Amino acid sequence: MNTLVKLRYRFWPDKIFGELLQKPWMETAVPLLVLLGVIAFFSARIDNFISVASMSDTLRQACELGFVVLGMSIVLIVGGIDLSVGSIYALCNLLALYCVNVLGFGMVPAVAITLVAGGLLGAVNGVLIGYLRMRAFLTTMVTLIVYKAANDMLNAKIGVEISANFPDAPAWDFLGMGTFLNIPVIVWVFGVVAIAGHIFLTRLRAGWHVLAIGGNRRSAYNTGLPVKRVVALSYVASGVFAAAAAIFYASRLASPGADTGKGMEIVVLTAAILGGIRLGGGKGSVMKAMLGTLIVLLLTNGMLRMAMSAGASRVILASILLLAALLDIRWFKNRHKAVQELYVSPGYMELPPPQTAARGSGSPYALNDKLRGVETIGLGEVEAPEDVVLDADDNLYCGNRHGDIIRFFAPDYRRQEVYAHIGGQPLGMAMTKDGTLFVCVGGMGLYRVNADRSVAKVTDETNRSLLSIIDDSRLRLADDLDIAPDGRIFFSEATVRYEMHEWPTDSLEARGNGRIICYDPRTGKTSTVLRNLVFPNGIVMASDGQSLLFAESWACRISRYWFDGPKKGTVEAIIDDLPGYPDNLNRASDGHYWLAIMGVRSPVFDLAMKRPAFRRRMSKKLPGDEWLAPNLNTGCIVKISETGEILDVMWDQGGENHPMITSMREHRGHLYIGGIHNNRIGRLKLEDVASDFVDLKVAHA
Amino acid sequence: MLEFVGQMIGGLIGRGGSSLSVPILDGAFKPNNLLEEAEVLLERPGLEDMALAPDGSLLAAAGAEVLAIDGDAAKLVERHDGTITALTVLRDGRRVVALGDRIVIEGQAAPLTEAGGRRFKAITALSVMADGRILVCDASARYDGDKWQYDLMTKGRSGRLLALDPAGGKDELLQNDLAWAFGAMESGNGVLLSESWRHRLRLAGRGDATGELPGYPARITPTADGGFWLSLFSGRAQIVEFVLQENSFRREMMETIDPKYWISPALSSGEDFLEPLQSGGVKHMGILKPWAPPRSYGLAVRCDANRNPLMSVHSRVGGANHGIVTTLERGSEVLALSKGAGRLLRMDLQAIRIANGITGGTA
Repeated sequence: MNTLVKLRYRFWPDKIFGELLQKPWMETAVPLLVLLGVIAFFSARIDNFISVASMSDTLRQACELGFVVLGMSIVLIVGGIDLSVGSIYALCNLLALYCVNVLGFGMVPAVAITLVAGGLLGAVNGVLIGYLRMRAFLTTMVTLIVYKAANDMLNAKIGVEISANFPDAPAWDFLGMGTFLNIPVIVWVFGVVAIAGHIFLTRLRAGWHVLAIGGNRRSAYNTGLPVKRVVALSYVASGVFAAAAAIFYASRLASPGADTGKGMEIVVLTAAILGGIRLGGGKGSVMKAMLGTLIVLLLTNGMLRMAMSAGASRVILASILLLAALLDIRWFKNRHKAVQELYVSPGYMELPPPQTAARGSGSPYALNDKLRGVETIGLGEVEAPEDVVLDADDNLYCGNRHGDIIRFFAPDYRRQEVYAHIGGQPLGMAMTKDGTLFVCVGGMGLYRVNADRSVAKVTDETNRSLLSIIDDSRLRLADDLDIAPDGRIFFSEATVRYEMHEWPTDSLEARGNGRIICYDPRTGKTSTVLRNLVFPNGIVMASDGQSLLFAESWACRISRYWFDGPKKGTVEAIIDDLPGYPDNLNRASDGHYWLAIMGVRSPVFDLAMKRPAFRRRMSKKLPGDEWLAPNLNTGCIVKISETGEILDVMWDQGGENHPMITSMREHRGHLYIGGIHNNRIGRLKLEDVASDFVDLKVAHA
Repeated sequence: MLEFVGQMIGGLIGRGGSSLSVPILDGAFKPNNLLEEAEVLLERPGLEDMALAPDGSLLAAAGAEVLAIDGDAAKLVERHDGTITALTVLRDGRRVVALGDRIVIEGQAAPLTEAGGRRFKAITALSVMADGRILVCDASARYDGDKWQYDLMTKGRSGRLLALDPAGGKDELLQNDLAWAFGAMESGNGVLLSESWRHRLRLAGRGDATGELPGYPARITPTADGGFWLSLFSGRAQIVEFVLQENSFRREMMETIDPKYWISPALSSGEDFLEPLQSGGVKHMGILKPWAPPRSYGLAVRCDANRNPLMSVHSRVGGANHGIVTTLERGSEVLALSKGAGRLLRMDLQAIRIANGITGGTA
């Protein structure tokens, strides 16, 4: 029975649901569903709704509309609105036809002139709105009226002349009527433009500027972005896109109609909103514009073929717009809640029964008071010193939760200063003989503080796994490190699914979310060497220089990994029944290792680990404060040998002096103790140890 | 029928009976630390109950002994042959002691072992009515008093409230099917009793007397103005309500784990690291926040004759004086018995009023 449960939780990918929802492109979920709904509805009622023959014409119309919607989208994203697109469209249609029919220009000059004209018309808007700070709605409404009036006047003058001429311009006709590989030309052009637009908005700095300005104009201005210029240029772009649509329309229909572009701004706005582009600005994408266009077009075409009256179809379009906008806003506001509900995916973890820690029981883990005599350093002055290191001059370094590295001066450790400021939460550290401090910073990556106190990034990314939905090329929670004899730095990343501030939630999952990563300073490359580890935490080089010991916290296990030599690539568990959750591992003076146990196992938590569905319901129904947690209020220090023997265990029963232990460092006869939830560092005099032992590594530049 | 459908829907969306929310400590229940700061009159393991004799002297029951408390000195009065689970004193000064499944009245040789056709199983509280009868809370028909966690986790509803005539007359069953009866008192409009697993007080034979309390109610003692002091032996945490809904987890927990390590309320906590811990109970910077979800809590509340809460005394999370089972008002002082710490505590009534923001007047 248990095996079945174990297999189910190992192989069924529970975690992908939450991870998928978290992806930014999931915002387009609602418009995509609406589009699919529309297609399904009309396909059921109309024969050949989606057929090659009808597709061709629909696609042409869709792309023409799509161009204008793209232009409108850019303006919407930047936080404005362009009501004059219809009139620009009409004017450019007239201009293009005049150039080709009357003036006899070829395709290229006609296209060029029309695009420039569209740009100039849009620039009028741009200057008024971007530079003269006039209101977008009013200004574009005025230009709508002015351009419309200009269109009417010009149409009256040259309309007849245009209609009278039938030029022989095959290139021009090819634009509107031709196909390439059976697909209309306009679709190819639109495809290229759409891809370019997508890359522009999502990958190029200029596109990010557009999104930033739309998101918060004041902040963008304060950051130094050229707000006026970008806003003006977005109206120019809108004009150019409207002109492009007009070119294809002109080529296809050759009709300088009086009603061209009338009411187009409403349809375009409907398409943009149906696609999910918010009127407030700051959010939008090419995909959304395209989805909206398709929905509007399919709806109007479908209703036309169902022989609905124009009035009825407009009413239906408007109600669908209302519904879609409502749903989209709900989804936009509540997506993070859905993610929160679905994201935590507990796994199955069965641990061997722990050895008892009862006092006087004879077990190696029996409770004692060996840590009662710990002195404190920086009591109440330092917050969250997860790890401590000492240099050759006995000065003590630790991290704190404000991102600083604090240095306490020997010999009494009363005086302290901020040695360096890195940011994030500094976790595991290693000091080299020449005074360079390597530190894993939670939330940032692997950093170094040079002897001259300058901070440099060592690495903050690794190779992305192909099958991971989460982008695991970034380092979220670099935890502890050690340096191999050839200079390679091996460090652990505790979990790829949670950030530094929510790491305890990973204890609820107990899945193999972590990995060990290797940075090679000779090549500058970072790569992941071991995957699917359960919260890998402490790392220490073993005595043979070819392997390392690492701790997996929620699995209560210490393992050995060979990264060199004949056993390269193998992993062996050397202790798998710890009575608590291991944290950092460091060298001891007698060739053995110190292991920090940051929390102790309790019967109920161990039982809950075998009940993933229980933990999942708990994470959904109860607030975070009420969840079961590993008992991090009590810890101990264990001395282990390379083969997994327990040599010594030190407790502070009652957690009086040292409630939580995440790390310990032996230095010249003393043991220095750190804890991520503590406000102090502990210092314990050790008996019968070498008094000149220092834990300094050798690093290569 | 409608109620059933409503319950089913509520079960899906977490409302009504299947809701996991617990009442917050606010209003008259606003937390303070008076119980933690109180003067300790007596500290003895096994302290269970106390009672005021008609002559004003204070009696306490600890283990198998009845003690007379004078100031902070305790004098042995008598020793019984079993652990005392409840204590009261009749109008004429005779002591009545419950030893779990039997009641010993001073002067009567034979203990009473049954009433209403059923043997006693877990007598948790005794008190005296105006007509001299004794109110007996028999909390469960299945589990002893010290196995109360089993009764909670199996959602027991077999408690009963009886009125016994010490002179040997007829017994009266006042209320049946109680989810752990842990205290009773005769009040103006009926007999008030504590139903612990339903977190509320009832009027015997008449339904609920209060809404949901933010704790598990224990014994009730009267005050001069017709009101009463209600002790609550533990606070409530949402995870306990959650586990009560999770049947298979609860079953496995009961079968494989020692009760003192279950997810359940407790009379004291914080000494053993094998107890379950909730996320809010993790210490940060050496501090355990007082509003962490409680495993044990010290709480007693003073209500008026209309059962409105007026003021309360607390020992917050992280404190020692938890598991308050009996609270008495004697003149200008309030005495509380902390079963979790094995301590008899003394507080000044005026100080309690001030801490609760009640100025002037009487309460």
